[in-house]
Amino acid sequence: MRAALVVAGRNLRQRLRDRSAVVIAVIAPLVVSALMSLAFSGVESFHYTLGVVDADGGPVAAGLLQALRQPELAKVVTVRRLDSRAAAAQAVRDKRVAAALVLPAGFSASVTGPRPLPIATLTSVDDTVAGTVTSSIASTFVAQLNADRLSVATALAAGVPADQSARLAAAAARLQIPVQAVQRALGSRPLAAVSYYAPAMAIFFVLFTVSFTARSFVAEREQGTVERLRATPAGARQIVGGTVLSAFVFAALAMGTIAVVTSAVFGADWGDPLAATVVGLSMVLAVTALTALVMGLARTQRQAEGISSAVVFGLALLGGNFVFVSVAPDVMQRAALLTPNGWALRAYMDLATGGGGLGTVAVPVAAILGFAAVVGAAAVALAPRAVRV
Amino acid sequence: MGWMRRVTRAAAHRDESSARTHPAGADAAAAPGADAAAAPGAATPAAPTGTAVVVGGDALVGAPGPDGDRVPGDAGRPLLACTDLTKRYGDRVAVDGVSFSVGRGEVYGLLGPNGAGKTTTIKMVCGLLPPDAGTVSLDGREPARDAAARARVGYVPQDVALYPDLTAAENLAFLGRLYGLRGTTLRERVAEALALTDLQARGGDRVGTYSGGMRRRLNIAAGLLHRPALLVLDEPTVGVDPQSRHAILGRVRELGRNGMAVLYTTHYMEEAERVCDRVGIVDRGRIVAEGTRRELVSRLGEQDRIELTATGDLADLAEQCRALPGVERAAVTDRGVRLLTSDGRRVLPALLEAADRSGAAIDSVEVAEADLEAVFLHLTGTALRE
Ligand SMILES: Nc1ncnc2c1ncn2[C@@H]1O[C@H](COP(=O)(O)OP(=O)(O)OP(=O)(O)O)[C@@H](O)[C@H]1O
Ligand SMILES: [Mg+2]
Repeated sequence: MRAALVVAGRNLRQRLRDRSAVVIAVIAPLVVSALMSLAFSGVESFHYTLGVVDADGGPVAAGLLQALRQPELAKVVTVRRLDSRAAAAQAVRDKRVAAALVLPAGFSASVTGPRPLPIATLTSVDDTVAGTVTSSIASTFVAQLNADRLSVATALAAGVPADQSARLAAAAARLQIPVQAVQRALGSRPLAAVSYYAPAMAIFFVLFTVSFTARSFVAEREQGTVERLRATPAGARQIVGGTVLSAFVFAALAMGTIAVVTSAVFGADWGDPLAATVVGLSMVLAVTALTALVMGLARTQRQAEGISSAVVFGLALLGGNFVFVSVAPDVMQRAALLTPNGWALRAYMDLATGGGGLGTVAVPVAAILGFAAVVGAAAVALAPRAVRV
Repeated sequence: MGWMRRVTRAAAHRDESSARTHPAGADAAAAPGADAAAAPGAATPAAPTGTAVVVGGDALVGAPGPDGDRVPGDAGRPLLACTDLTKRYGDRVAVDGVSFSVGRGEVYGLLGPNGAGKTTTIKMVCGLLPPDAGTVSLDGREPARDAAARARVGYVPQDVALYPDLTAAENLAFLGRLYGLRGTTLRERVAEALALTDLQARGGDRVGTYSGGMRRRLNIAAGLLHRPALLVLDEPTVGVDPQSRHAILGRVRELGRNGMAVLYTTHYMEEAERVCDRVGIVDRGRIVAEGTRRELVSRLGEQDRIELTATGDLADLAEQCRALPGVERAAVTDRGVRLLTSDGRRVLPALLEAADRSGAAIDSVEVAEADLEAVFLHLTGTALRE
């Protein structure tokens, strides 16, 4: 154990002396999370006026209009009623509205029939964000209608009188509002973009520890210093353990720094400090185990680089460090839970949106530690190979 | 030679005459117990205080002895015993049934050309490479499996293995800690090792800023720090200037005299002659002969070694020489042809004629008495590198 501490101490000293290591671990993620939150803060304060032409006047159109006035969407959209498709086109051209939706006459009736009429969206090249949000509202609504059509059809098949189908459809349409236009996570509090990107980037850069540590260890092996360590009383596990222990300390320091700075400077919400720390340390532990595993697998620096890149980017992509989780497709959200970083991100999102403490993160932390244990066991078995020259 | 100055425990002084009477070579190996009486400095187990003093001038004083070695009663049993060590890399047999032993206070040399298997042997001794067959025993323990056995070995690898981004003192302190040193003892040993290698003025500099020779010296210091019972040096003088080399050799000689067992590899014949009590001549993975210099040379009888410095078709010249009566061996060297002859002076005229016939131009001829170089030529038919 003492030998591992001695090895870790030497490694940390070397790392703190290596400016590029400090840059990679602390400065780069701070810069990236700052840039990302700046880029996305525009979305949060985004607001536009949407023209709506209700040529239908039926219950389905009314459902849409009502949905647009719900508080979540009202923050983004102000609805202005317009009379006709031509008037809407003119309004978009004159920039009186940023975009418009046209619900054609007979729309409500067509929804229950075999050939539903399409909703038209009028958008302007001058305001692509409004255009995108409008299209998104329209397509979400249509998707919703299609689901409703299915449920209505099911209800009819189950014996509901046919004359009630229009009422059913309208009722079903009111059940949900289109949500994709607004970034919103699972909890009750709204999620600021920076509160997602700060942990996402911190975790991503902590994952980089794998590459950095494994590569410099292989380099040491090639330079003969690992062999010299093996000639001392220190055993293989102590040498590998000491090396990754320094990685643990360094990654934990980096993550802590990012958490403190992003909360203090950018207003990121990491949630309850104790729970956030436990999640962070578990994640760092999982990364440490991965590092030890790569050290045992890679024989050359090139291999160390290749394996770690595959691991880092694979996990970051799967775990949702690049894609905002709640807007990701369902499959991806589920795949994220195969990764420790996916769990860690979910834990941070839960903490930021729902409040809560250790209880909130118990399951994610257990999942992350489980991952660390499995990977760590493999790494321990590979330790003698890691130090073999 | 500043760093030739010896550092020692103040208590371990002994005068030059007793150092000279200290038996060396085969005698020492045959009866390691006997030399304990003759080397009082070494007989005292090293004081753990490690109060080091630098002694200048010519007084020969004892160096720090290995911790707690040389217990009376272990006489006759070598510290290191290797039996039938064998290592293969694919089809190539790098080490082929090598057996040897090193006693306490003995400097044992493995002398052989590039690729003979010296480093491979040493790595097996230090527990860094698992042998395919054979055993290594350090006082009955196996360094590969036993941390306590490794703690008694000081390994100086052939290629410098240090951390360039740490200072010399940091490098030494780190390795010292791994050998269990700490606190005042650690600081003293680091200072002592730096002083021994004349690096004290540069101890605070990063090793990356060191010259090649300085790195080599530090590489050796790192192996001595914990005062091992067995010091293993793998070609420590390669790339070192003659002065430092002289100093290193003197230092190794002295450590041996003070009771440390030393395993030393080299392909320099004159190094082996100077520092080693006994030499094992290694060729193609085998020890082809072993003994003190005198024993080895006496195998040759009254033979002379002749060095022809020549240019031209050296292979043909060697071939011509081999055919001459009185020439036992002839091998091409990097400067000419080396011969082993029963009577050098009588062969000379015929040699010059042979050179004429082969069209080679002879620059100089040197006749020398038999030495390890001649032994090597005798045993292998090839020349050891210059
Ligand atoms: N890792 C390895 N893989 C394959 N072959 C090896 C390996 N290490 C050594 N060898 C081979 O084993 C033989 C002995 O090598 P070794 O390094 O022990 O020689 P040496 O006597 O130390 O030579 P030198 O004086 O050049 O240092 C050589 O033929 C070498 O090519
Ligand atoms: Mg070698």
